[in-house]
Amino acid sequence: MATLALTGIRKEYGKVIALQDLSLDIKDGEFFVLLGPSGAGKTTTLKVVAGLEEPTLGTVSINGRDMANVEPQARRVAMAFENYALYPQETVYDNISFPLRSKRYYRDPAEAKSLIDKVTITLGINHLLQRLPRELSGGQKQRVALARVLVRPADVLLLDEPLSHLDAKLRAAMRAELKSLGELQSTTSLYVTHDYLEALALGDRIAVLREGALVQVGTREDLWHRPIDTFVALAFGQPRINLISGAVTGGTFRHNGGDLAMALPNHDIADGTEIQIGLRPRDLVLGAQDGMPQINGRVWVIEPIGRQREVTVDIGGDTHVAVVTPDQDTAIDSLVTVSCPPSRVLVFDAATGKRIPARNEGWAPIADVPAGEVARG
Amino acid sequence: MASTTPSGNDRKFTFGGLVLDVFTVAYFAFALFPIIWIFLLSLKSQDQLFTTYFAFTPTLEPYKAVLGLSSATESVPFMRYFLNSLIASFGAVFISLLVGVPAAYAFARFKFRGSNDMLFTLLSFRFAPELMVIIPVYVIYQKLHLFDTHLGLIWVFQLITLPLIVWILRSYFQDLTPELEQSALLDGYTRTQAFIKVVLPLVKPGLAAAALLAFIFAWNSFIFPFILTGSNAQTVTVGALAFMGGAKPRYNLTAAASIISLIPPMVLALSIQRYLVRGLTFGAVKG
Repeated sequence: MATLALTGIRKEYGKVIALQDLSLDIKDGEFFVLLGPSGAGKTTTLKVVAGLEEPTLGTVSINGRDMANVEPQARRVAMAFENYALYPQETVYDNISFPLRSKRYYRDPAEAKSLIDKVTITLGINHLLQRLPRELSGGQKQRVALARVLVRPADVLLLDEPLSHLDAKLRAAMRAELKSLGELQSTTSLYVTHDYLEALALGDRIAVLREGALVQVGTREDLWHRPIDTFVALAFGQPRINLISGAVTGGTFRHNGGDLAMALPNHDIADGTEIQIGLRPRDLVLGAQDGMPQINGRVWVIEPIGRQREVTVDIGGDTHVAVVTPDQDTAIDSLVTVSCPPSRVLVFDAATGKRIPARNEGWAPIADVPAGEVARG
Repeated sequence: MASTTPSGNDRKFTFGGLVLDVFTVAYFAFALFPIIWIFLLSLKSQDQLFTTYFAFTPTLEPYKAVLGLSSATESVPFMRYFLNSLIASFGAVFISLLVGVPAAYAFARFKFRGSNDMLFTLLSFRFAPELMVIIPVYVIYQKLHLFDTHLGLIWVFQLITLPLIVWILRSYFQDLTPELEQSALLDGYTRTQAFIKVVLPLVKPGLAAAALLAFIFAWNSFIFPFILTGSNAQTVTVGALAFMGGAKPRYNLTAAASIISLIPPMVLALSIQRYLVRGLTFGAVKG
């Protein structure tokens, strides 16, 4: 039980700046996800919280207590490392019981055994207890590392890509399982991933990192519907959001080099402003729809993805638009019309990449699109 | 027949293979011949020493003489030299491990001011010829009363054993991902406990290899004991030569002494052989 606060964290390795001015406020019991591409500083953030790396500037506090002079072993923090960091000379059982044999987290052997049994049964590794780490598959190692974290008491759990090495099916199952693990529900957790589906599925709140700096923090709805810039918009969703470049004249967006024109009645944008509009492939509909802006183009590529298909449409001006559709009839090179619900159009300033919010955005009813996304994964 | 049995030698006969075999045999003859020669020499009696190469009456007299078992009074106390060698070599390796293991760990894990310079200095002990420093060391030892003592020998052997142990172990420590210790720290252990419980067991093969090499180098060292010891702390390398002095050089005794002094390094090498196998670290981390 603890709150975790990072204030103005900066971390330099020589001339390389790994983290800059990172501030996060994580509530007691919150499941907080750090999302970002590799090299964004996610792991560094975890190590700074754990005390394994000293921040160059800034403070970490757990439960309001400044951790500056607190040794890692005294921080009551548990961490699952991305490379598992299992002790190769010890069996799975001894690995998991390792923290329980330390002075700080000591449990007598009988109690340790019941704790270990409980967590290993949940994680489905109960039959592997006498094996050595080298006799395990990647996914099994990862679950052992997770078990070692969950078996011991901790104020804060730090999880570094704990699902990244599982195969797709197991990962989906574990994602659901992680959510239901009591320890994870009740303990303040900082979870690092580069997989936006994990972030959306697990995170009470999500922080997007880029090059060591915080880009946006928010709930899954915030990040999906109100991304602060094109980087965040591109980080969520597969296929990625379509970005179409153009300029605004008289409140209407005109696509550079294409014949697309779209009225943007809800945005106040000065004439001549270069913008990008963002359209999520999943929001787009093939065929003309009443009351929706329309884009004309020619089918470029068709990819089947399960029951649906991803249709890429060439709309001129070197621009392609991806559409995810249940439609099975469209053929390559056919001329199609793509419609998009006006409420789903995101508008970005082309110069800065920042999103330009709509006037009435605060009240617009927003459906839970990410849940649909998650179900697909 | 051979081709149908799976256990048979399925290797195809090739000319290249034959050449390789011939070279291997030639190399073994080249490498082993001096040892065989010395061994034969050690079985010769004094009379036959210069009269014959291979045809002679083998006798254990030289060994008896060296070990002080023969009736003839022996002026060279070889057994004491043997004991001196054991004390000096084991002592040197022990001190080097005591100092070198933590040093190697620090060099591998932490970047501190002067760390590279210190590493290089250690290495320079190995590539600088011992003769270069021996005169000043001799003078210093005389002044400090370390001349002809076990302590003095153990001390000067650090020039040989410490760099070996530090450099070999440093690379072993570097191969271990720091996340192993970090994980132990978060699991509630202090850095020292993490080192002893997690890191040290994983570098056992390196520890064995480094200690063995250091022992062999110390054992075989000649210049240091030659210059820095007298009759008291002299070692086998110098002691074996004592038989060659005088009006009647007794090469057979020198040979027997050499063969006897081969034993400790060999026993040591064979007994820790199983630790020399790497592979414990395999599977520690992904990759």
